[in-house]
Amino acid sequence: MVETINGTVDVEFHGVTKRYGDILAVDDMDLEVSSGSFVSLLGPSGCGKTTSLRLIAGFEQPNAGDVRIGGASVVGVPPHKRPVNMVFQNYSLFPHFTVAENIGFGLRQLKPRPSKTEITARVGEMLELVRLQGFEKRRTWELSGGQQQRVALARALINRPTVLLLDEPLAALDRKLRQDMQIELQTLQRDVGITFVLVTHDQEEALSMSDTIYLMDEGRIIQMGGARDLYDEPINRYVADFVGKSNFFDGEIAEADTSGAVIRLASGRVLRGRNPRGVESLNRNAAGVIAIRPELIHIEKANGSASLTTDVETTARIKNRIFLGDQTEYLVEAEGFGNILVLASKHAESVSGGFSPGDFVNVGWKESSALALEDTSKGGRPTAVPVPKIG
Amino acid sequence: MASTGNTGGPNNRVTAMLLLPTTLWFFLLLVMPLVVIAVYSLGERAPAGGYQPALTLAQYGNLLARLKAFTNTLTLAPLGTVLCLLIAYPLAYYLAVKAGRGAKPFLLTLVIIPFWTSFLIRTYAWIYILGGRGIPRLLEMIGIEDVRLIYTPTAVLIGIVYGYLPLMVLPIYVSLEKLDKSLLEAASDLGASPIRTFFQVTLPLSAPGLVTGSLLVFILLMGEYLIPALLGGGKVFFVGNALVDLFLQSRNWPFGSAVAIALVGIMLAAVALYLTLVGRDRDRQNVSVL
Amino acid sequence: MPKKIDDNAPISAKKFMDELRRYERGSVSRRHFLGVTGLGMATSVMAGAVPMLAGSRGANAGSIGDRVSMATWPNYFDTANFETFKKDTGADVQVSVFGSNEEMLAKLQAGGTGWDVFVPTNYTISTYVELDLIEPLDLSRLPNFVEKHYIKRFIDPGTVNGKVYAVPKNWGTTGFVLNRKKVKSNPTTWKEFWDLSRTSATGRVMVHDYQLTTIGNALKYFGHSFNSVDPKELADAEKLLLDVKPHLFAINSDYQPGMRSGDAWMSIAWTGDGLQLHRDIPEIDYVLGKEGGELWSDFYAIPKGAPHLDAAYAFINFLIDPEINAKEVHAHGYPVPDARTTALLPKEMTQDPIMYPAKDLLDALEFGAAVTLTDPLRAEIMARFKAA
Repeated sequence: MVETINGTVDVEFHGVTKRYGDILAVDDMDLEVSSGSFVSLLGPSGCGKTTSLRLIAGFEQPNAGDVRIGGASVVGVPPHKRPVNMVFQNYSLFPHFTVAENIGFGLRQLKPRPSKTEITARVGEMLELVRLQGFEKRRTWELSGGQQQRVALARALINRPTVLLLDEPLAALDRKLRQDMQIELQTLQRDVGITFVLVTHDQEEALSMSDTIYLMDEGRIIQMGGARDLYDEPINRYVADFVGKSNFFDGEIAEADTSGAVIRLASGRVLRGRNPRGVESLNRNAAGVIAIRPELIHIEKANGSASLTTDVETTARIKNRIFLGDQTEYLVEAEGFGNILVLASKHAESVSGGFSPGDFVNVGWKESSALALEDTSKGGRPTAVPVPKIG
Repeated sequence: MASTGNTGGPNNRVTAMLLLPTTLWFFLLLVMPLVVIAVYSLGERAPAGGYQPALTLAQYGNLLARLKAFTNTLTLAPLGTVLCLLIAYPLAYYLAVKAGRGAKPFLLTLVIIPFWTSFLIRTYAWIYILGGRGIPRLLEMIGIEDVRLIYTPTAVLIGIVYGYLPLMVLPIYVSLEKLDKSLLEAASDLGASPIRTFFQVTLPLSAPGLVTGSLLVFILLMGEYLIPALLGGGKVFFVGNALVDLFLQSRNWPFGSAVAIALVGIMLAAVALYLTLVGRDRDRQNVSVL
Repeated sequence: MPKKIDDNAPISAKKFMDELRRYERGSVSRRHFLGVTGLGMATSVMAGAVPMLAGSRGANAGSIGDRVSMATWPNYFDTANFETFKKDTGADVQVSVFGSNEEMLAKLQAGGTGWDVFVPTNYTISTYVELDLIEPLDLSRLPNFVEKHYIKRFIDPGTVNGKVYAVPKNWGTTGFVLNRKKVKSNPTTWKEFWDLSRTSATGRVMVHDYQLTTIGNALKYFGHSFNSVDPKELADAEKLLLDVKPHLFAINSDYQPGMRSGDAWMSIAWTGDGLQLHRDIPEIDYVLGKEGGELWSDFYAIPKGAPHLDAAYAFINFLIDPEINAKEVHAHGYPVPDARTTALLPKEMTQDPIMYPAKDLLDALEFGAAVTLTDPLRAEIMARFKAA
């Protein structure tokens, strides 16, 4: 194990590059996973997150750079000699083995091979851990998706790997089960104390479970940090767009310093926002964007004037309203801004009484809630706010 | 059997109609000839050859006169099957797992191409390949003298492997092709070396193809007569050759029928034994064929 | 005529089959090959079953019908003559080739062959008569058969109980071929043949997969008759054969490839094969055992129930026409017992010692006897010899 400021590091990438023919899957990537943490590699399909996981597992070898596990380089080491185990996306349970035989598979490969009684005992422990006691003799294809998932977990954990790799482990489950399993995985990780590296395209999954998230795009890490960092302090438009929903107002950077920037919209309006990067200021005259989360926008009746505590205000007309249960989503149209997405909490709704399409409202926000970002072409996706169908 | 309630009647009738051709086929082409052969096997050879009615087990008592044909067949057919298996498996494995997507159709075609010409002519070609001016001549060039291949059991085995290899390759290929490759990664990930992965995962999961291929080759080999006749030079004698002689040369139909019935019996016993062994093994390993 | 379409097509199914048959005859067909494969049967059955293959000249043909079907031996005819026959009469010639008389008999016994003409060997004819499988010939319909031109001993087997059932085709001998470069001694007897096969020529000798010649020549070792069915004498032959078997290169009537490649040094052989081997490889000689052995003659005959009787007579009469017959001899190299035909052959042929052996050697030979064909003991001994 390598000592760092934060403790030991289990997995490291140093300038790792992986190519498939002309396609650059992983591009000069650096990564550091500290011991005992729950890390997610998040991104859309094709961003290189699964390839990164397979580079750790040993199914792929890098074209350049170094992959280290527990401080030692594993370049050229085949998968069966690496102290990591994986939970596969489709679980990849052996159909010709029972549940117990599947879970015990890793133990049976050890040299020297543990005794039968020891294997039985350890398998029993794992079954208990994943709450599958009594399922020993079952065939894996007789189990439900969630049960198969747990068998896969037990099978991958039985050899107490340094790192557990999870490749979209919840993708095949239905929504309710997925949420249960999220909690279960988190608990399990805390209980066993093993480093988890999870690959997912589902930002909610990444946000809810992991200590650290690596948001990836086109083979690179765009931003790394905790869930809060990614949500509240996205460093560019791509991050703000991929993690959660945002309103984006495009324009040109008129003024900029390390604390923030002023962006002039095409309509002539001038908006100020915080610079989440803090240390370096944005490039003046470059394309910029003001990003603001829908839940940070205040909405009220157009004629009620005094109660607004916002820095930016505009009148708008309600185009659409979607009731989401715990909150209500409004799509409004404001002159000089275009479409704006607003989320009103249940509480706010109870105060305002709610709005209907066609109503005129005031919307506004604090400048401290708005982010001034570079409109990076790399990783930047053109769509801003999804426009729901009017009707 | 789950019945579908009151629609059962018409359904059954439709099913019966659909099964009728198969049943007829089965009866006319399988049961009837077998009955005829069974009846013949109890008869006597007519003075000028052929069959004349009688009720005697004498033909069966005479079976030992063809013992060598049975022992030859029962040695060389399993041996040929095992050889086919040993050669076909790596080939099928390469085709299904290792071959590139571009090369695969081409290589598969190469496996199938021999079927485009007559089996007979292909086997006949081996007479020249194994004959004195073929492989032995090449061996002579590198100093290995006096190798005789043609008209030996080795030649028959070479012919068998050559002729039956595709029948073994294709079923194994199909079962390996269907095999979820991520299972191999899973095994490797869990610490199994490539060799252990093969024996613990690949082999058991390709067992259905292996069983199908082996049965196909074994059953056909038990009735083989062309390869021993052409490459065995009349010295490597299979039951099939005994039958050809009995029907076409000696015209001893009753004895031929008895030999045929004995062959069918031995074949059924061998296949049953094999399936029992495979079945027990599968039970132990919990392999699902389906 | 709608059938004309077939003739104009680039390659009709029938033409294709013709080519295929030619290929079989010319390149790969040999007695044994066809014997084990039944290919000959296959073509004849197909011709009967598929109308397209059955010829298309029916309508403009003479009165004899559109086809004639013949069962014969491989390498034993001239296809050019068949073309001529077709041009003259409009009847297509369909050929099935066989590996042994036993097999031919088995097919006729089983029935439904559809043959119009077949080519039995001398010793089988009386059995065909006995089993009522052969049609007596109306000699008035065979004007080309003029008895006085024929060698009498080769006509006689065709006559049974005073009735003529078959007319002579060719005759020949059964001796052995040997490669003089490999076999250093000079064997002239069957005794030497069998002894060499167990000693200096071990692993290099072939015998026919054919009871008549293999058992017959084994009997000659002991001085017994070639045709013996005496159980004691046959036991001698069996003992010899079983003793020789481990030393044999092969039991196979297809001995040309083995002799040509040098794998085999000696083999029991027929006239025509001896001639062909000697012509191509001069060190291979054809020897008749001094003790004797087989003299044989083949015949044209008509099976009972021949579907095209008129065509059968026309075809046989055509083939024994001296001019046509001489062409046949050029194609296959077997002598003819008809003086008119022999007169048309070149000197190289008529003076060839393989085709026409010396009188003293010929005189020692015997015709195969009818009883050998059906004798169960001889068949069983042959089978035991092969299965041993």
